Amino acid sequence: MVDVVSSEGPAAGVVLAGGRSSRMGTAKAALEWHGSTLLYRTTALLARTLDGPVVVVAAPGQDLPALPAGVAVTEDPVEGRGPLQGIAAGLTAVAERASQAFVCSTDMPFLHPAFVRCVLGGLTPAADVALPFARGFRQPLAAVYRTSLAGPAAELVADGMLKPGMLFARCTVTSLDDARLLSDPDVARFDPDLDSVVNVNEPADYAAARGRKPAEVVVECFGALASDGRRGPRPVAAATLAAAADAVGLTLDRHVVAALNGDQITRDPLLPLVAGDTVAFLSADAGG
Amino acid sequence: MAPGGYFGRALVVDVAGDAATAAPLPLDDAVLRAYLGGVGLGTWLLHTLSPAGVDPLAPEAPLAFVFSPLVGTPLTTSAKFAVVATSPLTGLLTDALASSQFAIAGKLTGHDAIVVRGRASVLSVVLVDASGVRVEPCPELAGLPAADAETALSARFGRGWRSAAIGPAGERGVRFATISHDGRHAGRGGLGAVLGAKNLKAVLVRAGTKAAVADAPAVLAAARDLRARSFGPATAKYRELGTLANLLAFNAVSTLPTRNFTAATFDGAPRLAAEELHELRGVARNSCASCSIGCEHIYSRRGGGSQRMEYENVFALGPMCGVSDPDDVFAASARCDELGIDTISAGGTIAWAMECAERGLLDEPWLRFGDGAALLRALDAIGTRSPGLGELLAQGSRHAAGVVGHGSIDFAPQVKGLELPGYEPRTLQAMALGLAVNSRGADHNRSGAYEADLSGEVDRLDGGDPHVHAAIATEDRAAVMDSMILCKFLRGVFTDPFTEWAALLAPVTGWDLDADELRATARRIVTAKRAFNLRAGATAADDTLPARMLETPLVLASGRSAALTADTLRSMVAGYYAARGWDAEGRPCT
Repeated sequence: MVDVVSSEGPAAGVVLAGGRSSRMGTAKAALEWHGSTLLYRTTALLARTLDGPVVVVAAPGQDLPALPAGVAVTEDPVEGRGPLQGIAAGLTAVAERASQAFVCSTDMPFLHPAFVRCVLGGLTPAADVALPFARGFRQPLAAVYRTSLAGPAAELVADGMLKPGMLFARCTVTSLDDARLLSDPDVARFDPDLDSVVNVNEPADYAAARGRKPAEVVVECFGALASDGRRGPRPVAAATLAAAADAVGLTLDRHVVAALNGDQITRDPLLPLVAGDTVAFLSADAGG
Repeated sequence: MAPGGYFGRALVVDVAGDAATAAPLPLDDAVLRAYLGGVGLGTWLLHTLSPAGVDPLAPEAPLAFVFSPLVGTPLTTSAKFAVVATSPLTGLLTDALASSQFAIAGKLTGHDAIVVRGRASVLSVVLVDASGVRVEPCPELAGLPAADAETALSARFGRGWRSAAIGPAGERGVRFATISHDGRHAGRGGLGAVLGAKNLKAVLVRAGTKAAVADAPAVLAAARDLRARSFGPATAKYRELGTLANLLAFNAVSTLPTRNFTAATFDGAPRLAAEELHELRGVARNSCASCSIGCEHIYSRRGGGSQRMEYENVFALGPMCGVSDPDDVFAASARCDELGIDTISAGGTIAWAMECAERGLLDEPWLRFGDGAALLRALDAIGTRSPGLGELLAQGSRHAAGVVGHGSIDFAPQVKGLELPGYEPRTLQAMALGLAVNSRGADHNRSGAYEADLSGEVDRLDGGDPHVHAAIATEDRAAVMDSMILCKFLRGVFTDPFTEWAALLAPVTGWDLDADELRATARRIVTAKRAFNLRAGATAADDTLPARMLETPLVLASGRSAALTADTLRSMVAGYYAARGWDAEGRPCT
């Protein structure tokens, strides 16, 4: 169940989690994020956005925090060989089920579906990669790759060429600059500063990110849940579904379900919410 | 000796001329344990008593009123009865439930079921009590609404009698006429036309005996526990707003069928919503007999009077026909009650006719989506079977589309001839399967697969194997609930339903049964219904949805497209057959 369906068939998500987090001093994947972890937030965000599989690429033997239902894990063949190896492993893992994949790192706490959708839309038929050039930097870990690049990427790694740029030199890349990204009305509205590409690399980055006010979403309760003054849409600041429920005085139990943006029915309290979301809380005892 | 909760016999009543004969049909322990009661036992009775290929409106076609072991116990919501027959709308098995004192009085005539066959020479009623059966002519009741007929019958025969009656539409053979008692309809499939074809305005029953249960203290304890649980959060929706609470919620998730399934959201939904009506109208609550939930919400009508409103009648007579004025919908619902017709089939058939008229396939320029007066005019035409449009629409949308032609069957909102309830199959794809394969036709009470779609348990926009299993699970649960019989609005209070249901049945019947036995019972009942339909001529080709649903994606409010392809549905149907242990043509293998 997704926000985004690519016109080129299913689009997968690949999240690289095998980095050493040396500047952070602790595994970034497991950093707390509004009741879950950074990795949970990133994978769940992609799962709610894409119509293909979502895969985490971990270091060999790496312990990972809990993941959303349906998210798979694959491992880098060798530890510490950099992002191109992770890209190759991730594309390989999803190649049979998707023709393209949005690839990102685990530490992007403000990644927004509108940004993902925009980058996916930027992959022209002639291109192999849609590569944002955002906030002054090339963003190979917030880019879309054709899964057919899995083999070439693996060959480069095998030859000791470990940087994504080596791959870009050998394929067709569509670059998406700030202006191009912000020409997307949803990106302009919900991610005007292109915070989607913000990484947290050091404790101060994490503290600053964690200190931000959660995104504003619109919550509406229906039926019996709308009693006690809960009728009608209301804006609340909430990073997760549980926070949205809490903001309107609801408990997410077996009698309550939520519809995200009118499409996705969910009970995952840790589902990440983003600016522009609407959440409808419904009685789970549907029908009659 | 019969098991607790049973009498071990049905009464088969044959009406001929101005008299009736009656004979008991023994129901042994094995039959009762295998089919329980209600829909299950009714299916067995139809297998036993219905001649193959019989015209549903022929005198020899049986019409069964079936009770259950729980009827008459203090268990909440148990005062229910099933009416089972071959449907004049689908030509297949149909069963409908209603809740009222008729269930208790009918069972306490000393029978687990009362089956009526034959035909009276003039409009009559059949009276059944512990002392016997008789026929009384009642030509003075011709054309009366069922409620008025009940009042007249009570005055004539006394207050101890309870009557299941038809309105004028049943007398006139409208193929989606209902049978009702105390304002509650056995609504779907045209059972009222079956009773009307027997020239019977009503069946009256009077209690004259008692039904013993195996362990009365245990039944009382179970009843107290179930009653307490029935006040919990699982039933809050029904208590506080009633089923009409679905309307805004379904609109929010793009599953509110609108203008004959051309859209899944309706701009006028807020005007018809329970939340809105509760603020603007006087509202009263009521309960069925022996029910502690109290789901009925009765709204005051502008200009006087009141009307009970449920989601299905508001959906069918509101969004489905593009009508957003609540007073028009109230008036249309009241008219359906007076005529004695199923609101879902009435609304669906009229919505189809509105689309035909707008496309120029019907020369009825006044019949337009959104026109409440046109809706009422069409209902009257159906109820009176007026020549032309009324006669056409009284046959239901499938038959009418066959007459009109020009591809109008593609958008006739029906499966197997039964009009679709208010659940959009393209955005509820487990429900799509449930609607396609159900024995009764497009039906939300015998398959509640929407529960899986709306729980997040499956991806509701991408049908597949998980949807098959969800559809089977809800169909099996319904088969047991409709046979033991308990109201489905209780389903949320059970966390381990088959185990808990076995624990309810055991002290009533004295049977040592468990969840696995009840699961097998569910499968047996579903298969028996299937077998009856196959005998009546149904084939795998009937297990589908209207072409519109399979060829035209819906654009959702979010901008996404919801598509259900014929291949996806075929694949799910094939998976359903396989999981049921049936062959590739949907035939039970054993």
